Amino acid sequence: MTEKVHLRAPIKTYDGGWVDVELVVTDNNLVMGKRNIPLKEIEDLEDVEVEGASCIQIKKEDKIILKLPPNLHQQVFKFIAFNLKADKFAVFFLESATVGGVVSSGAQWEKGYFSVTDEGFWFLSARNQKRIPIENLGSVKTDLRNVGGKQRKVLVLSHVEKSNVVTSLVLCPESTLEMLEGYLQRLFEKHKPAITLSEDEMQILTLIYSGLDFASIENIAGMSTDELNTYYDRLVDSGLAKVVKIRKEIELTPHGVSMVDKISKR
Amino acid sequence: MSKVLIVDDTAFMRKLLKNILFGAGFDIAGEAENGKQAVEMYKGLKPDVVTMDVVMPEMTGIDALKQIKTHDKDAKVVMCTAIGQENIVKTAIKLGARGYIIKPFQAPKVIEEIKKVIGE
Repeated sequence: MTEKVHLRAPIKTYDGGWVDVELVVTDNNLVMGKRNIPLKEIEDLEDVEVEGASCIQIKKEDKIILKLPPNLHQQVFKFIAFNLKADKFAVFFLESATVGGVVSSGAQWEKGYFSVTDEGFWFLSARNQKRIPIENLGSVKTDLRNVGGKQRKVLVLSHVEKSNVVTSLVLCPESTLEMLEGYLQRLFEKHKPAITLSEDEMQILTLIYSGLDFASIENIAGMSTDELNTYYDRLVDSGLAKVVKIRKEIELTPHGVSMVDKISKR
Repeated sequence: MSKVLIVDDTAFMRKLLKNILFGAGFDIAGEAENGKQAVEMYKGLKPDVVTMDVVMPEMTGIDALKQIKTHDKDAKVVMCTAIGQENIVKTAIKLGARGYIIKPFQAPKVIEEIKKVIGE
């Protein structure tokens, strides 16, 4: 039986360089030249930028980068998001109900799917396909919220987006809600960094979040450079922080000092 | 230069706010570690703005806000709340708080809110 072809388009794939290939999207497969990728074997999907171009990255054992014509990018992304390997539940969701603790005025309840993969979870609707990686998940709980004038039990997910703590809500039958809560809790526990923080480490983490630089943190925490470096190393090693810049502290040699002397006499 | 009175029961949070605000060019009028102290210090120091924590011993931030507003109806008080305390924010705004900042603090947001409240 031949499958229905949804789309056929010339695209580029990336393998150290761009390769021209035809993409054929069918009910169950993505076909690129001789390569056939069953949709149900795609483990993850992301929008990524490669060499300045907006691309789709799919994960199936290895990672495959697709550069589509701009007018087809979103259409293909949406199709894959709805059909990849995941457990999908029909729900109502309110994505980004609060951002940084502030209620989002633009957020609204949508009818769609809550989809869970090994890498994270998705809010899927006709207009919204939002991926939340599991490492961005902060907490999962159920709570009573006012939905359409009634107190309803919802799943409250806090996750991080662009350094903000965001809260999203999911509404579905209670049995599904409890199952989702348990499943996400287990997934969260499995992925969370295995570290117990001391009071000092918690404070340093908070200071980093607040946007303070190394010197300010040294000052507030009352620590020497070496002590703070040790704490930084531990936070980086435990996966709670990453190195973005390494600064240099230097002092002048005698040549440098005499140069400054000359500069001051100009 | 605008003067800020920082009210929080944890020394760490006071230090953090002090660093953020001082770095942005504000003067620190003083620091109080509970609501009662905040009311007394407000009367004495007459700061341009107060950053007020909500949960504190002796007197909560909400009660201190009420007393400060009774003393000076034009007082500019910014509440410091944690994520999930939206109802407390609503109450504080009704009582005359001019704004709020959310813990954990992010320096740019703190500065933006304080400047907005002061009218800079």
